[in-house]
Amino acid sequence: MIMAELDELLLGACTLDHDGCVVCADAGIPVRVVTMGGDDALCEDSAGNRASIAVELVGAVRVGELLLTHGGVAIGRIGS
Amino acid sequence: MKYVQEFRNAELARAIAAKIAGLTDPNRHYKIMEVCGGHTHAIYRHGIKDLLPPEIELIHGPGCPVCVLPMGRVDDGITIAERPEVIFTCFGDMMRVPGSRGNLLEVKARGADIRMVYSPLDALRIARENPDREVVFYAIGFETTAPSTALTLKRAKQERIKNFSVFCNHVTIVPPVRALLDSPDLRLDGFIGPGHVSTVVGCRPYEFMTTDYGKPVVVAGFEPLDLIQAVYMLMRQLAEDRCEVENQYSRIVPWEGNPQALACLAEVFELRPYFEWRGLGFIAQSALKISPAYADYDAEQRFAVAGVRVADPKACQCGEVLKGVLKPWECKVFGTACTPEHPLGALMVSSEGACAAYFNFGRTVQAKAAVGS
Repeated sequence: MIMAELDELLLGACTLDHDGCVVCADAGIPVRVVTMGGDDALCEDSAGNRASIAVELVGAVRVGELLLTHGGVAIGRIGS
Repeated sequence: MKYVQEFRNAELARAIAAKIAGLTDPNRHYKIMEVCGGHTHAIYRHGIKDLLPPEIELIHGPGCPVCVLPMGRVDDGITIAERPEVIFTCFGDMMRVPGSRGNLLEVKARGADIRMVYSPLDALRIARENPDREVVFYAIGFETTAPSTALTLKRAKQERIKNFSVFCNHVTIVPPVRALLDSPDLRLDGFIGPGHVSTVVGCRPYEFMTTDYGKPVVVAGFEPLDLIQAVYMLMRQLAEDRCEVENQYSRIVPWEGNPQALACLAEVFELRPYFEWRGLGFIAQSALKISPAYADYDAEQRFAVAGVRVADPKACQCGEVLKGVLKPWECKVFGTACTPEHPLGALMVSSEGACAAYFNFGRTVQAKAAVGS
């Protein structure tokens, strides 16, 4: 998947600073991996907000990959 | 239908709505339940209901974990939070949920050290930074949220952090749906399945709804076209006399879910024999508790939580709304004694509770119902 397509997948979704209700079962936030560092990855949402996200639960991830996160933890991959 | 822009395309939405109308029998009344609070929110935010034929009624399900939490569990959390040695951490929406003695915001105003966090990992960081205090995380949520708590507990154990514990209120999605299907109050034709819960659990857990109850299920995303397409897929199943679990949200939801997250949940949690749900009563094996291997991190054991039971306020009809028996505006205190600013019931507290969604976005629906009645 080329980067332009990945960008389009992020648009319109929840962001790290505005995700509705975080306790709701279903407020997942799509983010893109910016840099990796051990079990955590610095990720960026569609609005440019960045946060450290734990990625142990989705296996090895690469810079540029899209992840679905919830409560600071990646729970799935997007578009894979 | 791969990109988000396409999922907000009004022309395409109207085209699918026309197809839905073509599948609708004017002599039949269809009841479709969206299980998830995020779907309820999206339906009213985007005006999905207005696109559907009047024969199709959307029923709002129990998929908001704040809304289904009984008041006694809120009171138990407040009792822990009031202890002087405790730093109590929770998600933002929990702060305003009313217990019988007020909410966490009011307890914080009275001097308790209560801190809002975005992630349980933030609570663990607070524990590292305050080794002389007891840090407790109020865990709540379905299978989307439970992995973050489980992962946090694994890290706490690996790092041998002793001053951290979790007050676990995680719930699971399948048992309440089964309870609803067993309820004589409610006749449903199909279900819109939760999108991000299914990222973790996959689609297989919903198969009993088709085999045991004959109800079709479509797992759906949260964009407007996701929801309209899910309704279309359900209506097509009903028209073709099929009954299957279908995955509309395949760009994110794998059929088998996330095996690593499920393994993490299985290591850290086990099922409670029973758990009380607001409006639905006690449901067997419907919630998670911390497993014996992680018992040192269980706040219920560490602080000998009493497990109080508290009846809802008499005027509050959250239970009937949760089961879809009443529409939010049919509750006698909706919009008067109970508003988002001064919520009486949990459905008005959570931004994705059915009452809050109606209050913020559903006024036109309410007005139409009033005109039609």
